[in-house]
Amino acid sequence: MSKIASNRSVLDPRKASPFPIAALPALRNPQLRKNVAHAIDVIQSKRARLVVEKADWQELRSAASAIRSQALENLGKYLEEFEARCTAAGGKVHWAADASEARKIILDLLREEKATEVVKIKTMTSAEIQLNPALETAGVSVFETDLAELILQLGDEDPSHIVVPALHVNRSQVREIFARKMGLKNLSDDPKELTNAARNYLRRKFLTVPTAISGANFLIAETGSVAIVESEGNGRMCLTLPRTLITLAGIEKVLPRFQDLEVMLQVLARSATGERMNPYTSLWTGVTPGDGPQRFHVVLLDNGRSSMLARPVMRQTLKCIRCAACMNTCPVYRQTGGHAYGSVYPGPIGAIFTPQLMQMKHAQSLPFASSLCGACYEVCPVKINIPEVLLELRSQAVNQERKQVLRVFDPLYLGLRVANLLFAKAERFHAAQRLGRIGLWFFTRKDGWIHALPSVGAKWTQTRDLRGLPRQSFRDWWAAREKEAK
Amino acid sequence: MRASVPSRQAILDRIAGALGETRDQTAVGSAKADASPARNYIRRGTLPRGACVELMADRLRQYDAEVVRCSPEQLPATIADQLEASGKRVFAAPEGIPESWRPGKFDWKIDRGLKTEEIEETEGTFTAAFCGIADSGTIALHHSAAEGRRLLTLLPDWHLCILKASQIVETLPEYFDLCKGPVPLATYISGPSATADIEMTRIKGVHGPRFLHVIIVNDAS
Repeated sequence: MSKIASNRSVLDPRKASPFPIAALPALRNPQLRKNVAHAIDVIQSKRARLVVEKADWQELRSAASAIRSQALENLGKYLEEFEARCTAAGGKVHWAADASEARKIILDLLREEKATEVVKIKTMTSAEIQLNPALETAGVSVFETDLAELILQLGDEDPSHIVVPALHVNRSQVREIFARKMGLKNLSDDPKELTNAARNYLRRKFLTVPTAISGANFLIAETGSVAIVESEGNGRMCLTLPRTLITLAGIEKVLPRFQDLEVMLQVLARSATGERMNPYTSLWTGVTPGDGPQRFHVVLLDNGRSSMLARPVMRQTLKCIRCAACMNTCPVYRQTGGHAYGSVYPGPIGAIFTPQLMQMKHAQSLPFASSLCGACYEVCPVKINIPEVLLELRSQAVNQERKQVLRVFDPLYLGLRVANLLFAKAERFHAAQRLGRIGLWFFTRKDGWIHALPSVGAKWTQTRDLRGLPRQSFRDWWAAREKEAK
Repeated sequence: MRASVPSRQAILDRIAGALGETRDQTAVGSAKADASPARNYIRRGTLPRGACVELMADRLRQYDAEVVRCSPEQLPATIADQLEASGKRVFAAPEGIPESWRPGKFDWKIDRGLKTEEIEETEGTFTAAFCGIADSGTIALHHSAAEGRRLLTLLPDWHLCILKASQIVETLPEYFDLCKGPVPLATYISGPSATADIEMTRIKGVHGPRFLHVIIVNDAS
């Protein structure tokens, strides 16, 4: 059986290799690329069908975008409103400035609960703060309950997508992981049988583990409510069975009003999984006597988000509702899968979100991991102009590099500088063309193409051919023609 | 309380600083914060009643839910048929389900504070609903006395839900109008629990009920 790319790629942007290097293992792994392409083809075609069916899709997008912008423009007010309402309904709200504070708050809460085990609903935010390793170190056993997350946890794999985190793993690989970890030797690779194995494996945990950790899709300022959308019912299990529920949410997840859900729920499922509505949506407010957890905590996480608010161009990044439509449509993601992005947030949204979370101290290669084709902007249900943010981040990255002394010796910068000089005057350009024709003549094959260049030029010809310069340039031809006319 | 109090202030200050506001302004709340954004999307369906109910039934069937329609008079018999056909004997039901809807030949566990294990031991569950949303085939539960608490429609593997035709709206925004204000506790169910996590193959039934049966009572048409 083919092995999955690299079991543990580094999803910590502080340690990850630059994108072009991190992408290599995936590009050399045909099985992985096949798995990724298959999964996103299925979601994309389902999404496209359902979007066409919605006559008011563009109006929904506009409303969704306006709602998210409004939430961010008044974020402080809405967070305070959420806190007041949630507290009044029996919830407890905690504020975490960064990842380590969020981990500490959650660990303290678990200590108060004397918890030795937790069940978890899929939350990318918890992966962002690397919660699971911290819990395990503190002696708390973590049970991921989303099927994809369970596959990753048991297989010691990293997520490669924010909605379908195990899309890079195929059925026979899942079979192998489950057979090994659940001790089911006779398991087949039928997805139905595999799903059933997960159901049986987790059932006891749902019924006995008294503490759950979740993320949040939306926080409602008006009511202090939290909403979670899901498909499997593992979310509902974690939201109703345990005694204590801890919800970790980024501060940007807030919506002003209850009624805003009528827009967000219509665009989210269609964009994310290509369904008219996800099977289960749960909405709750603080603590409900006699129904569900009687202790409820919300941890509001900043971790770099507030710094994105200052400029509207960058602020739009936080409108994201994590539907993953951008990565499903991205020609780059399609080739590399998610691990190459070195972050729990891959794809186009990850390429703009991660470097900003890192305050441009890490992950500066990600804004370049795009062809700027704009497909991500077109599908985004909250109209984030991802190419615009990518360009802005690219210019920031270049400005950083400009300050480095070493760049003077970089062939790319030398080349650009020379080009700058040549393009400045027509005569220089003309002279360069002539020199170039003579210089390149040696490397030009009979078919008019250059297949291999030496030295720095090899960087170009390694992966593509270059058309040789024509015997006569347009300028020469024009000059000759003018002469003849006279 | 704990150390998060200074962080609360720090985060709110950072937000205010980034947005170029002073703390006082945010506390008062600007006018733009309260104005609802333009809602030019479809807020009202256009289908006639009958077609709307038909759409609901169609969408439910697409989710592999079983749909039966009956008149108010036929309801008790239809319920009995559905329960009988399930091949199950032990059913959980919320307190608010009328006794006339519960055929005596089955073993009923009425939820007056049932223990989790007791619900887990039942084979099916039987509830009413707040409303149905035809466009997405969604059943909205607000967990009233007849809809049951959340656990009741989660643990049993089989769920029978009664929906009156008059409770069905065409679009999601119409549901929000019907709510007349925020709802504190709700579950929206669109078909039986499902996953597509393995090679995008849709598998019905993971942790929630694997079987969803809906009786639509034609009370309006």
